[in-house]
Amino acid sequence: MTTRTKDGWLAYNPAMNSIKKYWAIFQITLINSLAYPGELIGRSLMIIPFMWIFYQLWKVTFAASGSDVIGGLTLRDTLWYLMLAETIELGRPPLARTISENVKDGSIAYILNKPYDFLLYQFSTAMGETIFRAVMNAAFGGAVVWWLVGAPAHPEGFLVAIPAILGAWTLHFCVNAMIGLSAFAFEDVSSFTWIYQKFAFILGGLLIPLDFYPHWLQVIAKALPFSSMVYGPARLFVTPGPTMFINVMTMQVVWIVVLGLLLTLAYRRGITQLTVNGG
Amino acid sequence: MKELKFLFAVWKANLLSVMEYRASFLTQVIGMMANNFIYFAIWIIFFDRFKDVRGWGINDMYVTFGVLASSFGLVSLLFGNAFNLSDIIAKGRLDYYLSMPHPVLLHTVASRMIASGMGDFTYGFVSYALSGQFTWDGLLRFVLATLLAAVVFAAFLILIQSLAFWLGMMSNFSALALNAMLTFGIYPITLFDNYAKLILFTIIPAALMGAIPAEFITKFTWQSLTGLLAGAAAFLFIAVTVFRLGLKRYESGSGIQIEV
Repeated sequence: MTTRTKDGWLAYNPAMNSIKKYWAIFQITLINSLAYPGELIGRSLMIIPFMWIFYQLWKVTFAASGSDVIGGLTLRDTLWYLMLAETIELGRPPLARTISENVKDGSIAYILNKPYDFLLYQFSTAMGETIFRAVMNAAFGGAVVWWLVGAPAHPEGFLVAIPAILGAWTLHFCVNAMIGLSAFAFEDVSSFTWIYQKFAFILGGLLIPLDFYPHWLQVIAKALPFSSMVYGPARLFVTPGPTMFINVMTMQVVWIVVLGLLLTLAYRRGITQLTVNGG
Repeated sequence: MKELKFLFAVWKANLLSVMEYRASFLTQVIGMMANNFIYFAIWIIFFDRFKDVRGWGINDMYVTFGVLASSFGLVSLLFGNAFNLSDIIAKGRLDYYLSMPHPVLLHTVASRMIASGMGDFTYGFVSYALSGQFTWDGLLRFVLATLLAAVVFAAFLILIQSLAFWLGMMSNFSALALNAMLTFGIYPITLFDNYAKLILFTIIPAALMGAIPAEFITKFTWQSLTGLLAGAAAFLFIAVTVFRLGLKRYESGSGIQIEV
């Protein structure tokens, strides 16, 4: 790509060229995800029974506790927290499975010889697949929660939480891509996916906000990357504030750097073991 | 008897097939058990903090989760194609089974074994053993309850997925129904009001896969046993009837199929 300099000359800009390339991949996947609106809607309906059952559970639990506030959250906050947590989780595509299948069936070879980086290509497509899924989940989940407990206490929290939601998906990408790449060494990676998912459920606070956990477990969970994948963005949404925003974003940036480096190392190591036969 | 012999032959072939990749088989079994254990930790944390939900405590959860996991695992192992019957119907892949001199529905659903089901099946027994309510006669009831809950679950899957004869591709709806069944099955039944309970005994029979079998295991009553037997028989009858009705509408596919 070329850009115009201040004296009118056209200059080659590789960084901008690279960004445009992955942005185009992202856009294509985003548009593709709208090709089957029935499937998109059908998949997103899953959040409705989840939110309804969460409402039943927490309504009874709050009533039994005799308090309107548990761990700093009201029943309304808890339901909106869980809605955003589920939106983040249900919006994610099954990336680990896709990458592991690429590795196992050899189709990774077709991607490797293209003029783009394998990991950045996967990241662009994963984000493209995620956006509309998440929007639909938020729409259905939000409608149900609104009907059950009313509007969120801080509607502006949704805008504040958007960077943290993107950060959460980036972290999910790093871990899922590493699980997918482990297909270089293992026959089947599905059990790693299940276990990772369940750790994200528990230590991320997907089904129970971390604030309801015993203190010692809260300390452990909040120090691990799982809390930046679910709890951070969801809590920021229901109780937005500058301090919370800085804390959540700082934790996310640190974990993105650490996990991004680990992913790059795992990819480089994996690719040296790749043998492609046939054509 | 002839059908039973045929079923055992299919299951044996399936087992040999999944055992071919031993490391993969073991990873899936152990991975699924670890997965269930980690998932259950959420309920341990919840009941540690909130003690009980309208009289429903952690011990009840152990039994409910146990019977649900074992029955889910049993269906995954023995009738794995019940999970993707709608795809088989919509893509015209029933042709293969129709051309064989065996009962079509039985042959179709029994033709696949999901290895991770062994992990679920085994974990259910571990969960019951950890419930603090283990007795030897309770274990016999656990086995019977698992069998009946598995019949309800398999029948529910067949019933929902047979709608593909009328609706065509419906994998999203099938996934939604499956998730609803498992989600409602694992949550304490005491959460729900009478209208919700009516749904959980009929449209989404999750109570017949979780709460009622658990009640039968922990304190035997003829009422719970009769309810389970009647529920299993009724759902099986409806599922087989709907599949047979749908089969009359089935249109053959033209794709070349290879069944391994």
